[in-house]
Amino acid sequence: MKLEGRYGRNKKTLSDEDQLKLATSCVAIVGCGGLGGYIAEELARIGVGRLVLIDGDRLEVSNLNRQIMATELNIGQWKVEAARDRLHSVNSEVNIEVVRGWFEEDKGPELFQNVDLVCDALDSREARVVLERVCHEMNLPLVFASIAGWFGQIGVSLPGDFSVSRLFGRGEQGVEKAWGNPAFTPAVLASLSVAEAVKLVVGLKPSLRHAWLQVDLLTMEFERFEIL
Amino acid sequence: MRVTIKLFATFRDGRFKVEERDLPEGSCVFNVLQPLSIKPEEIAICFINGKDANENSVLKDGDTLALFPPVGGG
Repeated sequence: MKLEGRYGRNKKTLSDEDQLKLATSCVAIVGCGGLGGYIAEELARIGVGRLVLIDGDRLEVSNLNRQIMATELNIGQWKVEAARDRLHSVNSEVNIEVVRGWFEEDKGPELFQNVDLVCDALDSREARVVLERVCHEMNLPLVFASIAGWFGQIGVSLPGDFSVSRLFGRGEQGVEKAWGNPAFTPAVLASLSVAEAVKLVVGLKPSLRHAWLQVDLLTMEFERFEIL
Repeated sequence: MRVTIKLFATFRDGRFKVEERDLPEGSCVFNVLQPLSIKPEEIAICFINGKDANENSVLKDGDTLALFPPVGGG
């Protein structure tokens, strides 16, 4: 199939040079659930050359309400493999590497070898803090996001920043255990993450460094807070 | 003294988004939390005028206190 026009609608949002930067970049997505699935989908569609998908879970029925990689036909499949299958049909030019396992601190150097950027799509606040530490040790930029119910938070942490540990370092169990995650919240927060990720890849300044966006889809308020 | 209290995400449920409260001089964040039935351990981020604070921080007239619950899902 001739697909020369694949990225035609990216212009003039993205120049040919930007598109080349995307095609020669590698993004790791840590977690392949609600957030991670949409992040992977959008990064594949926009033309990131290589994606590393990391998740140790298999798809289950309760994922169907929000996880774009979940269908009634693939329940029980590894999430990262379901994602790879779908993304291959979306953009076969993208090289997809799958890791069927959980992110752990000592695996960082191996998981993020040749990676240019990391997207946090984890579901644990403690693991996010560890992920920020690993990214910074490896001099990698991190786009972080989290969701619960109608609400979400998203920001960018560059090496030397401590945005994630400041935001997620305290407080007990996240409120998502009680509020769950409906279909729209991961899609919105994933899209915001991808917008920041694309800026970082093409060399534009991210908008949410030293800050986070507090997203409230119940009141439709997007409020920015500085991390001083 | 007058203090503005801003609640975010699930803290708004059954409470409010923003309210002004009259508090005795020397009140700390903990004194605000008690009548709101918010426990200190339920708070992920506590800002006074945009700067990090905690339940023991003392409030001043005109301060804005912002409270955020932990949002950790993915």
